[in-house]
Amino acid sequence: MAESPRSGPRSRQLLLRIRRGLFASPLDTGITMVLAVLCGGGLWSFLHWVFLQADWAVVVENIRLYIHGRLPVDQVWRSWSWLGLLGTLCLVTLMPAGMLPRPVLRLLPLLWILILPIGLLLLASGLGLEPVKSRFWGGLQLSLLLTLGTILMALPLGILLALARRSSLPLLRWLTTGYIEITRGMPLIAVLFFGQLMIPLFLPEGWTLNRVLRAVLSLGFFVAAYMAEDVRGGLQAIPRTQLEAARSLGLSPLQTIILVELPQALRTALPSLANQCVASLQSTSLLAYLGLIELLGISRSILGNPDYLGRHLEVYIWLALLYWLVCILMTSLARRVERSLNVTGHH
Amino acid sequence: MSLEPLAPGRLSGRRKRLLLILLQVAIGLLVLGVIALLLTNLQVNLLRRGLGLSFDWLGEPARFPLSRGLLPYRTEDSYAWAFVVGLVNSLQVVVVGLVLATILGVVGGAANFSSNWLLRQLASLYVAVARNVPPLLHLLFWYFVVFLGLPAARSGVGAVAGLLRLPVSVEFVALLIGLTVYTGAYISEVVRGGINSVPRGQWEAARSLGFGEGRTLRLIILPQALRAILPGLNSQYINLAKNSTLAIAVGYSDLFSIVNTTFNQTGRSIEAFALVVLVFVAVDLLISGVMNILNRLVLRHG
Repeated sequence: MAESPRSGPRSRQLLLRIRRGLFASPLDTGITMVLAVLCGGGLWSFLHWVFLQADWAVVVENIRLYIHGRLPVDQVWRSWSWLGLLGTLCLVTLMPAGMLPRPVLRLLPLLWILILPIGLLLLASGLGLEPVKSRFWGGLQLSLLLTLGTILMALPLGILLALARRSSLPLLRWLTTGYIEITRGMPLIAVLFFGQLMIPLFLPEGWTLNRVLRAVLSLGFFVAAYMAEDVRGGLQAIPRTQLEAARSLGLSPLQTIILVELPQALRTALPSLANQCVASLQSTSLLAYLGLIELLGISRSILGNPDYLGRHLEVYIWLALLYWLVCILMTSLARRVERSLNVTGHH
Repeated sequence: MSLEPLAPGRLSGRRKRLLLILLQVAIGLLVLGVIALLLTNLQVNLLRRGLGLSFDWLGEPARFPLSRGLLPYRTEDSYAWAFVVGLVNSLQVVVVGLVLATILGVVGGAANFSSNWLLRQLASLYVAVARNVPPLLHLLFWYFVVFLGLPAARSGVGAVAGLLRLPVSVEFVALLIGLTVYTGAYISEVVRGGINSVPRGQWEAARSLGFGEGRTLRLIILPQALRAILPGLNSQYINLAKNSTLAIAVGYSDLFSIVNTTFNQTGRSIEAFALVVLVFVAVDLLISGVMNILNRLVLRHG
């Protein structure tokens, strides 16, 4: 195209742009036609299926199961109040920084750490309530609890592992490198499976851990190895001059790590750490095969109900939508944190 | 555990070295202590269950049936042979999956740079959808919805299997397609990043030499992007190998599902775990080794 799309009136510009983007050559026109027919046909039959053929009863009639699992009906308010708290916290975090008073901003990280014990207390007695057995925990709520627990365990552990892997002590370096590399080479389902089986074998006699805690422990140890590598990448990206400046200011090595290295490393590593968090959420779905009735697990048992025979596609689309929404929420939370860190970085 | 390795800078060199050695001895003792404690617990627990650590059971007959694979297997065969059959089944899906996912990934990644608007949008839609859905859900979709739900897809697999004279099962194809689509999305991001790393001037130079879009990509851009692509490919290949263990969700007899069944029959969790660790460390090393050789070749000739 010799003509620039900037010349001429607006409609002409648009036409030119369409022509350049879709019909530049005979081959291009062919590709566009084939793709358009395929997309149109696919979209048409999908919409046809969604509105006319699909039977959404399998989703609509079981909403409570998908969200709370098999929680007794009179206890569902506990699940709702935790989900409500979590949702509020997400909203507050997503608000533009200018709208929040400083003390609230300072408290946010603490609130995010506290939300997990609050959820556990609400479910497993605590607060003077009747305890709900862990085999009744389930649905989206359990998926979120597992994800939060995993992240809160894996992040600190990952930071410690990354620091240890860069330590000047050879022994510490070898041990952590071995742990990180072997763990990263293992399939997650095997780690989770053997975590469920073997953790009880390594505990002293008389000690027990319920399967939710065992799942969080195995997932946490697994994800920590990946997070350690992300943090290590962040640590490596810090310019040497920063360390020299810290030393010349008379900071001790510990102060250098806490005040100079970690804040910068974590900021650099944040996007990849956020990806690990999203991956943790997706990983919790594997626990459906290890006896937990989290989101996928409860769906499998719903699909096992003869009333909903063959309604797989409806359920999987609904699940994909739920997972996708939570993933998007997590990504936008991470972006929000990233932005606020960049703002403070300019001071 | 102390993670603060550096002694204060005011100490003299010799005292500092001594302190560092002492610190390491302390860490070593701590780790050994924890391991000893765990092993004692393990021994007590295993004795209580009447199981000692041994690998003698590997020679006993496995007695469970397996779906038909490349290697012959009968239920009288030993556990050890069942593991070999499972390993071959795993490798089969991994190797074919690597090839298909690479093709899909390169096409998907390159489509981001097409001048065709529709193609670009489709490529990014594919990545956005495929990456945000858990891999397990991919497999369940292909198995339960496509292959068990549509009779045409099932008979198609049967026809292809007959044509190739290979024991290709519906489970194998569902696992293969699921892994390919999921990994392909990640590979296409790796490829996109690699192509982005090639300076724009290369595209312009190729165009001014009269190269078409496809030839520019094939002859000029991709060979240069390869350096940036290979390291990313390595980790995606290892991910694919690891994700092949999700086979248990669709009932394909891969190594892990056989280990799983074996555990259910024998209760030998420690030995089975050791086996899985060993096999996967070997597979990872193999993939990394091959990719490193490729990488060296590319760096030498590129």
